[in-house]
Parts: sequence; C-alpha cells; structure tokens
Amino acid sequence: MKLTGAEILMECLLEQDVDTVFGYPGGTILYVYDALVKYRGRINHYLTAHEQGASHAADGYARSTGKVGVAFSTSGPGATNLTTGVATAYMDSSPVVFISCNVADSLIGKDSFQEVDSTGVMLPITKCTFQISDVNKLADTVRRAFAIARSGRPGPVFIDILKNVTAETAEYEFVSRKQHKKSGLLDALYDRNMADLHKPSIDEEDIDKLIEMIGESEKPMLICGGGVVRGRAHEEFNTFVNLMDAPTAITVMGGGGMKGRNPLTTGMIGMHGSQASNIGVNECDLLIAVGCRFSDRVALDPASFAKQAKIVHIDIDRSEINKNVHTDHHIVGDAKEVLRMLNEKLSQQDHTEWKKHIFSFPTETKYDEGGDTLNPKQVCDTIARMMPENTIVATDVGQHQMWAIQHFHFDYPGQLITSGGFGTMGFGLGAAIGAKVGNPDTMVIHIAGDGSFRMNCNELTTVEHYHLPIITFVFDNRTLGMVRQWQNLIYKKNFSESDMDRGPDFIKLAEAYGLRGRRVTNQKDLAEAIEEAMACGEGYVIDCMLDIDEMVRPMVGGGSHITDFMKV
Amino acid sequence: MKGIFSVLVENRDGVLSAVSGLFARRGFNIDTLAVGETENHEISSMTITSTGDQRTIDQIEKQLNKNVDVIKVRRLSESKSVCLEMMLIKVSCTLANRAALIDLCKMMGANVLKVAPKYMLLEYHAHPDSVEDFIQAMKIYGIIEIQRTGTIAMQK
Repeated sequence: MKLTGAEILMECLLEQDVDTVFGYPGGTILYVYDALVKYRGRINHYLTAHEQGASHAADGYARSTGKVGVAFSTSGPGATNLTTGVATAYMDSSPVVFISCNVADSLIGKDSFQEVDSTGVMLPITKCTFQISDVNKLADTVRRAFAIARSGRPGPVFIDILKNVTAETAEYEFVSRKQHKKSGLLDALYDRNMADLHKPSIDEEDIDKLIEMIGESEKPMLICGGGVVRGRAHEEFNTFVNLMDAPTAITVMGGGGMKGRNPLTTGMIGMHGSQASNIGVNECDLLIAVGCRFSDRVALDPASFAKQAKIVHIDIDRSEINKNVHTDHHIVGDAKEVLRMLNEKLSQQDHTEWKKHIFSFPTETKYDEGGDTLNPKQVCDTIARMMPENTIVATDVGQHQMWAIQHFHFDYPGQLITSGGFGTMGFGLGAAIGAKVGNPDTMVIHIAGDGSFRMNCNELTTVEHYHLPIITFVFDNRTLGMVRQWQNLIYKKNFSESDMDRGPDFIKLAEAYGLRGRRVTNQKDLAEAIEEAMACGEGYVIDCMLDIDEMVRPMVGGGSHITDFMKV
Repeated sequence: MKGIFSVLVENRDGVLSAVSGLFARRGFNIDTLAVGETENHEISSMTITSTGDQRTIDQIEKQLNKNVDVIKVRRLSESKSVCLEMMLIKVSCTLANRAALIDLCKMMGANVLKVAPKYMLLEYHAHPDSVEDFIQAMKIYGIIEIQRTGTIAMQK
C-alpha cells in the first residue's frame, strides 16, 4: 500500500513492537506528529518539557524494560538538545533509537532555519547514524537501525529524516521482525560476519581454560559489570557466584546483575568501592570480570590494578579486551551464554578461608547517628524499609548516586537506572519517567541531589500531566556535594562556585507544578513523608536535609592504587 | 610499530568521516589514508597506515571492526604485501643542472611530466620508503610542491 514517509515510520515502529515514544515536536517533524494522531492508542507519545528529558526518558524506558527506547525531536536545537541523552545512552550501552527530522532536501547545507548537521553531531556518540533522503529507503533503514541498536553490545542509533521524505509517498509492505534478517539492507548486513549483529560464537576451549584456571585458584574474586545487566544474565551470574563461592564486587553499572543481598557480594568497587571489594581485587590470585570495561573509576590505576592476579575478562565487545587493563585470558561472548557454559562445567568450589579474610573488611560504610540533619544511610535505610523490595531506583549524578548504590540492594537488571559512564547530572527525573511508563505496576523513585534536581526539574510537569506517581528524594546539602568533597579533600577547602545557597524552594516548586512535597530533617518526618507520598498516587518531592560536609566514603583518588584509601 | 590496514567500507555519506573520526577520537595516528571505489560501486576500499605500540595497533583493528559501515578489515604485514605510493613533485632546476636531474630520474624510474624554464614536474611511484628516499634526493635541487596519494597496499 502507498503511505507517506511519516506513516511508514509509524508502521515500522509497530513492526518493532514499539508502543511508547518520548519526544517534542517542531517545524521539521510536524508530518510525523500529524501521523501520530492516526496511530493514537497503538503508539503512545509522551510530551516532555525539553528534548533532553525525552532522551533520558527513552533511555530509562530501555534500561528498565530491556526493550528499545524511542525518542523524537525536531531539527537544529531539537536534535542538539538530545545529544546529552544520546551520549549518556552510548556510554552505558543502552539501546535507544533517536529519530529527528531535518530541513527539506532543497534547504540542506544552506544554513537554513533550525538546520544543523545532526548526523555529524551524533556520529561519535552513537553506534551508527543514518540520514534518510529517499522515502523508498525509509523502512529498510529504520529496520536496520533497530537491529543495530539492540544487537551485540547494545547502544543508541540516530536517524535523521529529511522533512520532504516524511511527506512523500512510497509503497510499504509489512515485514515481521523475524523476516527482517532477510529483507533489504539487513540481509547484506547479516551476510557479513558482522560482530555487531551476530552474537559471537563462544570457543569451547576458552571455557575449558577458564575452568582449569578456576581449579588452580585459591583466592578467586569476581566482578559483576554492566554487561551482566544488559545481557539480562543475572540468574546465570548468581549461579556462577554461588558455584565459585568467591567474593564478588559490583560496579556502578553492574547493580542488579546479581542479588544485592547475596552474602557473597562485597558491594561496590572502585573510587567509592568498599574496603572488602578493593582489598579483594588487590589480594586475589584470579580476577574474573564479567561485562565490565575496567573504566578509570574501577581500575583507577590500570598498571597496578590486580597486578598480582591472573585477570580473566568476559565481554561481548572484542574491543574491550586489553583496552584498559592487560588480561591473561578472555572470552568474547554474550554474558548469559558464557556463564551458562561455565556453570555446566563448573563444580562447587569452597573458599571458606579466603572469604573469611575478605569479609573481615567492611562491605558498607558506617555513619555517625544523631545531629540536626539526616545522614545518607538513614535516608537510604528508611526508603528501603518502607518501600517494596522491587522498587526501581533512578538516580542523578553525584554523592547521592554513590550513597544510593552503596546502600540499596538491587536484585534484578533494570532496578537501578543510573548514568555510570557519562555521569549526566539531570538524568534521573527523565529516566524515572521512562521507567515508570515502561513499568506502570512497579514503584519508581528518583534519587537526586539538589544540584542535579535543579538541572532538569522542569520534567515535573511531565510527572504531573501523565499522573506518574514518581517520588523524588532530594539529598539536599545546599551544595554540589561531590564537587565540595573534592574541594574539601584535594583543593584545600577552596570552595569555588560549589555552594547552592539559593532558590528555588523545592516544595514550592513542586506545588507550582501541581504536585505536593515535604521538607524533612529527621527519620520520623521522612517516614511520614514517604507514607503520604505513597498514598497520594501522584508525583511527590521529599527534600531531605543533609549536612553540607557529608562525604562519600570510602574514597580512593583518581589514578591512585585501588587500596590507597583517602582519609575521609 | 607500523600498522597497515586494508578496509572495505560501505560507499555512503559520512563513512570516511566516521572512520577518520574514530582515529581522532581515540587518539590513534593516521600516517596515510587512501580511499577509492572498488569494482562494486557500493563498496569503497581504504588503505590506512598508522604507527603505535602493539596494543594500539590491536585496538585500531578492533575499533574498525566495530563500525557498522566497515565490511572487512585486513591487517597487512609489510613483508607479505605490496605497498605503493604515488607522488607528484615540482622540483626547481636550471639549465645547468637539468641534464643531471633527468639522469637521476631515469635511474630512479621517475617520469618527467613537464619541463619548464625554472622547474620540472615529476611523477614517481614506488614503495613508500623509496618515495621518502626520492624526496631526500630532490631536496638538493629544491622542492617547490609535493602531492602524495598515501600508501595503497594489497596482500601478495
């Protein structure tokens, strides 16, 4: 049948089982928004306050559901407003297809109104970009974009459609997702030995070698990375951990990759890792890292990182092997498949002595009780006590993010949604919106700092309009806490431009958006506020007052040896 | 060490920029880059040469392989492949030394494309090392302008 480009785009989204899109209209994408009306009910569009909010919402939706997220924007500033969200998704391997329209063919390259080379802008922050200037290639390209976004190591793909293409007509024929492999451009792509579309086949010999190494090891240590989460390999990983009977550290991105309350976990690793994790890495004789890229926040000093141990790296992305840390053995493959193969061959190990040693070090930070203000652990503990165990937690970036990850226990992939790689302040509220839309029956909370919340609190309007009962907890210390912490420890208390001694009043702000909120300074008030928030069934802001000099502990300085804990 | 990559890519907008951008973003060197269509006009072939330590050269290969528009990456060893570079060079010369220069060109296998009163325009193609040698030899006469294609290479 003959359809317009905009309608073909809608049909292609339906082919991919997309029923949710986040976005913001504008001049060049109006034909697409025009077509949306015809597809209402099958494709639900969520209008955000800002394109950045839409980009984070699509990302949060993808991370929490495991499906591909979709965001729309117009050309020029619409597309550039997406970029922070695109880069955030890219750094954390989140599958999102970003769709923007550009000026018409006749205006391209003329510095037209709201024109920017958006595919050029997106190039370094996506797996792939496409500009579509021929309506006959539209369906094929959209199919290809989705296949690339979700396969291999997932990630964002950007599609730029020229405005005239959305209005022109072409023949469209429904092709089911199963048939996509055999259609058009994808056919050629699959025919090639493309690492991105094919799951790498796992070498049996590599598995056997690792089993042998495990047999020889007396002090093994495991790392649960983001690849376990993206690969939804949590069950296999849990089995592996239990069979290994080894202490297991969790990276920021690995939260939810194993049961957070598994007694074998040593908690977070790296710059704000627990003593047990960091000392474990430094004393083990075999380190097996699954889906972790040894970033500078984990392997702080790559040269000395686990130097005494044999390092084994399991990752789906071949380019991660030996990129940051030199490894002794590696297995390239999907975490779920590799772990399943390992579990089949692995006999139950016993490392009682080694465990006793490692778990003699703290896995969690202790805080002093009392004072006029709440401490971070009290806030986290109260939330954890009162809210369902499966609550999805979306965070912003900074101290509150580290506290949330240190003190909450995440049990399944998608329960923790946080910007680990790109460290995007302002990510949390949009991400929480996406997570709530994708998981309407699960409690979703947003953990923010006062700095991060100020950045994108405009999305409270989206929370209110769509009646999304998201509770925002602001860890409010009236400062950019992490910046102040560094200034405290490294920059000789020279608190340059980090004080947030200014408005707005977050409670009045919530009210302005038609929501309720409450400021709390002690656990009793906090508990009451949480009760009220859960009962109201709408968005709610809880402003938790913390001490301005509260710090994230422990801390190892950037580039330092992993056990060089600072005096904090 | 030196890395020579023969890369087949999709012949579409932005691919050259994606590949060259990859080198810039990740801090890899491009020594030379030569691009042209293959017998199939939908596919282009690139020869890229780079220098770096073993780990860097390995990373370049892996990162190239990750690019969706890259069809095939082949790492060529210098001993098992033919490497060639072409150069146009304008060398200043006078009536007095013209004969000597022409003799030198004959000896080295360079072609004289134009003889002008104050300069000669030469074409030279050879292994990149020989091209370097030829440039050194021409420095005595005075080089006015050079255009080089960069290395192209093929497995023997």
